[in-house]
This record gives sequence, structure tokens and C-alpha cells, in this order.
Amino acid sequence: MIKLEHVYKYFSQNRPAVSDVSLEVQPGETLVLLGTSGSGKTTTLRMINRLVEPSEGNILVNGKRIQDQSPEDLRRGIGYVLQENGLFPHYTVAENIAVVPNLLGWDKTRITERVDVLMEKLHLPPAEYRQKYPRQLSGGQQQRVGLARALAADPPVLLMDEPFGALDPVTRASVRKEFRTLDELAHKTVIIVTHDVQEAFELGTRIGLMDDGKLQQIGAPAELLFRPANDFVTAFFRDQRLSLELKTLTLADIKPYLPPTADTDHYQPHVLPGSTSCWDALEETMHTEGAISVDFRTEVFTMDSRSLMTAITVYKQTALAHGSATKLF
Amino acid sequence: MEAQQSFFDFVQQQSGKLLEQTLQHIGLTFISLLIAVLIGVPLGILITRRKRLAAPILGLAGIMQTIPSIALLGFMIPLLGIGPQPAIVALFLYALLPIIRNTYTGIKEVNATVVDAAIGMGMSRRQLLYRIQLPLAMPVLLAGIRTATVINVGVATLAAYIAAGGLGEFIFGGIALNNTHMILAGAIPAALLAIIFDGALALLQHIPFRRIRTVLYVLPVLLVVLSSFYLLPVAYGTKLVAGFTPEFMGRKDGDLGLRKVYGLQLRTVVISDMIMYKAAYEKKLDVISGSSTDGRVRAFDLVVLEDDKHIFPPYYAAPIVRNATLEQYPELAPALNKLVGTINDSIMTELNYRVDYLKEDPAKVAKDFLAAQHLLQPARNGNKGVIRIGSKIFGDGYILANMYKLLIDGYTDLRAETHTGLGGTKIAFDALVNKQIDLYPEYTGTGLLVILAADQATVDSLIGDKQKVYEHVSNAFMQRYGIRWLPPIGFNNTYALMMRRQQASALHIKRISDLKAQQ
Repeated sequence: MIKLEHVYKYFSQNRPAVSDVSLEVQPGETLVLLGTSGSGKTTTLRMINRLVEPSEGNILVNGKRIQDQSPEDLRRGIGYVLQENGLFPHYTVAENIAVVPNLLGWDKTRITERVDVLMEKLHLPPAEYRQKYPRQLSGGQQQRVGLARALAADPPVLLMDEPFGALDPVTRASVRKEFRTLDELAHKTVIIVTHDVQEAFELGTRIGLMDDGKLQQIGAPAELLFRPANDFVTAFFRDQRLSLELKTLTLADIKPYLPPTADTDHYQPHVLPGSTSCWDALEETMHTEGAISVDFRTEVFTMDSRSLMTAITVYKQTALAHGSATKLF
Repeated sequence: MEAQQSFFDFVQQQSGKLLEQTLQHIGLTFISLLIAVLIGVPLGILITRRKRLAAPILGLAGIMQTIPSIALLGFMIPLLGIGPQPAIVALFLYALLPIIRNTYTGIKEVNATVVDAAIGMGMSRRQLLYRIQLPLAMPVLLAGIRTATVINVGVATLAAYIAAGGLGEFIFGGIALNNTHMILAGAIPAALLAIIFDGALALLQHIPFRRIRTVLYVLPVLLVVLSSFYLLPVAYGTKLVAGFTPEFMGRKDGDLGLRKVYGLQLRTVVISDMIMYKAAYEKKLDVISGSSTDGRVRAFDLVVLEDDKHIFPPYYAAPIVRNATLEQYPELAPALNKLVGTINDSIMTELNYRVDYLKEDPAKVAKDFLAAQHLLQPARNGNKGVIRIGSKIFGDGYILANMYKLLIDGYTDLRAETHTGLGGTKIAFDALVNKQIDLYPEYTGTGLLVILAADQATVDSLIGDKQKVYEHVSNAFMQRYGIRWLPPIGFNNTYALMMRRQQASALHIKRISDLKAQQ
């Protein structure tokens, strides 16, 4: 669990780099801090493991104030992943992963076992890669070692600073996908800093959008899209709005707004689950000449792309009109 | 005859001494290097953390580097006397800058993300330093140590000037004695040492990451082992300590003669002429090999021991001039000869005293003297030609060169310029032979023994008679080199052993033979 209470950071007298940021992230949750460079998102992240000392406010990790622990002890309990991976060039892959367990004084066999388990999970066969040096690995492999290093001591909290930023788009997509399915992360409190909007929507259970040192809005991805707190939030997503909306909304979300369907007997051969995103559903209509069937558990709907789009439009209007009373997620 | 001896013979003959000097040289280099590493590396680390100290510390170490090495050794003498301590301190100061600077740069250049990651993982400052910063800075740090080593091997040759030993004893002895074999016997091992250590450290520098942590432990051990070499050559013991110049050490009319004719086996250290008198005055040395007309004999209240077995040949000073110059300008010789008969030993000592001890300008001393002798004439500012006057780095030389300049300027239409401070006999004489200078004041004894390297029989037949020596060198120089000896000026600046007056009278030492009782 991570909690920030009215945190400020001043690097110079007049303008705070981070201003009055409060947020809370629960175990199992992934918060993405999104923003342009200079928005204060990285500073916010680095204050949590005391790489930057906050000027004002409280930060709690697992219920304990970070100032009440030594920085070293605090950091050994927090996984940290950096953009340029920051692997130690004179350490082998295995030694790099074992850094924190070593600092914590684990015994050798325990460390070896743990390193092997992580390497397997991150698709780095130990027999082949254990003795390699970072410069012998590809960018994607290096980043996976960086992730394994952060996870080695199984810390309850994970901080990631632009973790996929240095990778090419193809590698980035595949490492990101691997990351999402990693069971190690299931019960961890994760904060990721990124400037990549797609990445934020893909990885975040919640998104905190930052600008000018302030948290402009924090909430589920759908909340930021459909109920923006201010003009900045609206403007920030403008370019990618449609694709983000379609990817964020599931068929279950828009079910109440679907027009009553005449035909509940003729199903398409491939029935989609209710959790399918509208984006994927629309894509499906292209293969099925317009009609798709959706399994909403209680009933199965068959619809075409036009009724789908209508439902989305109504959903958006309702969301805007009803404000916070509308249940969006 | 020594001149025909091969280099190999020389090395074989002197192998014991060569080994001793080489070990001393390695020892000097690495003791100072070890201290420089022990102090420089922590300082380098400190200034990566206290950024405000970086500029002053690097600046100060940089200033040390710019002090000429011989001057730095000179500064050390009042503080630390002579012997190994001042040499080690001076070498240490030279080694400091590359080590501090490279430690600082090496650590600064460690990838910031790597350092960030290490701190983020929860490493303490000490863990960060030992596990990340030092290993990654190691190649740069080693490059600094490598530079310092090569500098130290070179500068350590100068240690011979202050009685700290090393290969400089051969090099400076050889230069002073015009003995190429001796110079090479010192210079070649010194160059080899520089190359070997440079190569060895280059290997360490390119060591793979895997073994970089081993270097961290091996290096200090290696430094300590090499440092201990200095202690291997043990001192040999008499109560009196003699300090002889490198030149005196290798001369038949020097240490060799003392051993052979007098049977003296004094505990001897090699030391520069420049600091020898002061070291005797300060009781660092008891017996020194001075020159009888040196001003410092008077300044430091030293007494010249009588050469009762006549090993020191006559050293009458006279200008030696290229004959071609004399023929081209017939008016030159009469002008130079005006000095003949005006300076005896005590006058020369007095003049030297004013220059060496009272620090008066040799030009002014020369002018005052000529004026007192009614020999000074205003310069004619002639432009008939230029006469280049050389001199060795002795008080005598400076003063005489300045007198000759005034005489030439005043009595001829020639213009004289002085090239003082030629390092030794070999350098001055080579300059004359190679027409870089036209004349310089030389001593008859030096001409006989050093330049002509006369064989023993010739020396024995001449040495007692100053006139015979003069005639021999006059003829031989004219025949061999086309260089003419003008008439001697009058004073005899011979080698002499000298002691502090007080100690000499306490031990009842008047003659060199008396020293034997003190062994």
C-alpha cells in the first residue's frame, strides 16, 4: 500500500516541482502516473523511495511513514525499475538479479533458487543466461532482467520509471504484454510512470494524470475519458480519444444502451464474452459482415456495428449528463 | 683504458651497483606511488561527494605538478634534509594529481542510471562505492596510476641529486664524467622500468569485468611488495657520512682515488653539488667533495682537508676557445687575456661567496670586480660579430662568463652573449665542439682527465706539475679538436674534501689520511 498526503517538492524557491499531491494505491492495484516531461510524475515516484526527499507532506508505504525508516531499508523493500534498466555492467545477469537478496543477506541456495524461478518466468532460460553480462543481451532482455532484479526479493511495492520507454515499439508491446500476465505482480502495489497514453490505458487499473506538478485527475481509465475533471484532461486525450474510448469500454458497459434486438435466436458462430472491448467487437464485425453475438451470461445478444456505435454515443451522453452519479465501471 | 671498454663490460663490472640502483629506483617509485594511492584515491572519492572541494584540491595538486622537479627537490631539503624522505615526498606530490584526477573522473563517469539503480536497490554509500563506483571507475583509476608510475620512474632519477640513490647516480655521474656507458647503464634500465610498468598496468587496465574485483585486492599488495625493494640495499657503516657529487664518485681523482690511494671506505651517498655544502653545514653529511674556491666554503665555515697524497690534479681555469674564432677575430684573445693574473684562490672564493651565498647577480659581481681592477670599459656596441660564451653551472663559470662578456664588449667591436648553465663538462664541451658556443672557461684537470681521458701513465707523469698539465692539454686540444687553451687566469679550483671546522678540529682531522682513523 502506498499513500501520499499533500506532498510538495520544491527544487527552487518559487515554483514547486510537485504540488499538493495526494493519492492512495492498494495492493493488487496498478496506478499509472501519466504526464508530459516536467509534469512532476518522476519526482513524485522518486519521493516514494526517497531518491528525492519531499519538502512537505507525508508518504506512507505499507502504513509506515518513509521518514521513519532508513532509506536503505526502505528501498530494499521496494522494487525499482528504471527506463535505461540501470543494470550493473560488471555483474552477470544472475548477480544483477541477486542484488537485493544479497543486500538482505539471504543464503546462497535461496538466492540461486529465486533467481532461477524469476528467470524462467521472464523467459530467460537460466542455463543460457545466468552467466551472461548485460551488454550481451538485447534491449528487451535487459529490461526483463531489470524487472527480475526489482522483483527478486518479492517486495510488496513496485515502482517503475518509464520501464518500457527505451525499447522499440515492437519489443515494447511484447514486454508490456508479458508484464501484464506476470503472476508475481498479482498482489503488489505498483506505480508506473509513463508519458505513453496507450501504455497507461493498457497497464493501469487507475491513471493519475499530472501537469505542472499537480495531479489533474486520478481515477479509472474510463473516468478520465468520459468524465474529465478539467479542460486539460479533455485536451490531453483529444488526439486518441476515439480509439481510447473504444478500447476502454466493454460490451458489458454499454449493454443498457443497446437498442432492443429483434433477433435473439440467430447467433454468429463465434460468440464474444461481455468483457470484450468495443474496439475488438468492432473489429469482429468486419469479419462477420456486420453482425456479432455477445454472451452477457443472462442472455445472448446479436447486434451489428451500427447499434454498437449508437449505444456508445448514448453511454457518453449519459455519462456527461449524470456526472458523478453515473456508475461507469 | 675505460674509453675503449664496451658497454657490456661496463654493465658487467658494475652489475652489483646496477642491481642496487635498480632496486632503489623501483623502491622509490613505488613507495611514493603507494602513498599517493593511499592519499589520492580517498581524496578523489571525497571530492566526488564534496563538490566544493573539487576545484581547490585539483588545483593544488595541479600546481604541484607544474613545479620543476629539481626545484621541488630543492624545496624539500630545508624541510626534510637529504636522503630518501624528501625524494619520496617529492615523488608523491608528482604522483598525486593523476591519481586524484582519475579517481574523480572515473567515479564521475560511472553511468548515472547505474548509480541511481544501485541507490534505488538500497545500497549504502559504502556498498555503492565498493561494489559499483570503484569497480567501474577502475580502468580510469588505473590509467591514472599508470601515468603516475611513468612520471615517477622518470623523476626518480633526480633522487640521486639528494642522496636518495636510484639509477640517476649512473645517469648524472655519466653526464658529469663524459662517460656514455655510464649514462646508458642508468638510462636504459630506467627506460625499461618505465616501459615494463606501463605495459603491466596497461594489462591490468584492460582486465575483463569478471576479474576487476581481484584487481582491487591485488594492486595494494603489489605496491607494498615493490616498495619494499628500497629497503633491500642496506647501508654500509662508518661513523662519518660522505656526500660526493655524481662526478666525483666516478673519477680517478675522486672517490676511486680516495679508495685506491688513501684506502678510504667511507659510507658514501651521492648528492648534487647544489645542496652538498648546506647538507654538510646542517650536519646531514660530514665529509663532502667540494671545490676549493667555492664561496660556500666560506659561507658555511668549512675547512679544506690537505691532499697529502696528491690525488687531486691541478685545476687551473682558462678560457678554451675554438681556434677558428680566434683566427677570425684576432682582437679576441688580447681582450680575454686581460683577466690573467688578476684572480687568485681567495679572490675567487670571495667572488663565489658573493654570488652563491649573498645571492648577488654574477653580472654585477663581475662588473664590480673589473671596475676595481680598472679593466671596465663602456660597451662599444660593435657589430663586427657575435661571440657566444658558455659556462657550466658553477659559480666560477657564471662569473667568468660575465667578465669575458664585459671585456669583449668593452675592448673589441664584437658583441658577446652568454649561455650559462650548461649542465656539465660533457654538455659544455659538446656545445663548443659543435660550434654552438665559441668559448667557455674550463679547468686544466678536467681537460686532462675527463675530456681527454688520458691513460694512467700519462696522468701519473703529469699530475704533480701544473705547467706540464697545461701544456699537455693545450697541445692535445689543438690537435684533436682545434680548440685553443688561452693562458690560465691564476686560481686553482681543485677538488677538495672538506668538513665542518668544528668537527674537523674535534676529531683532529687536518689531512685526508686522518679520515682513515675514523672508519
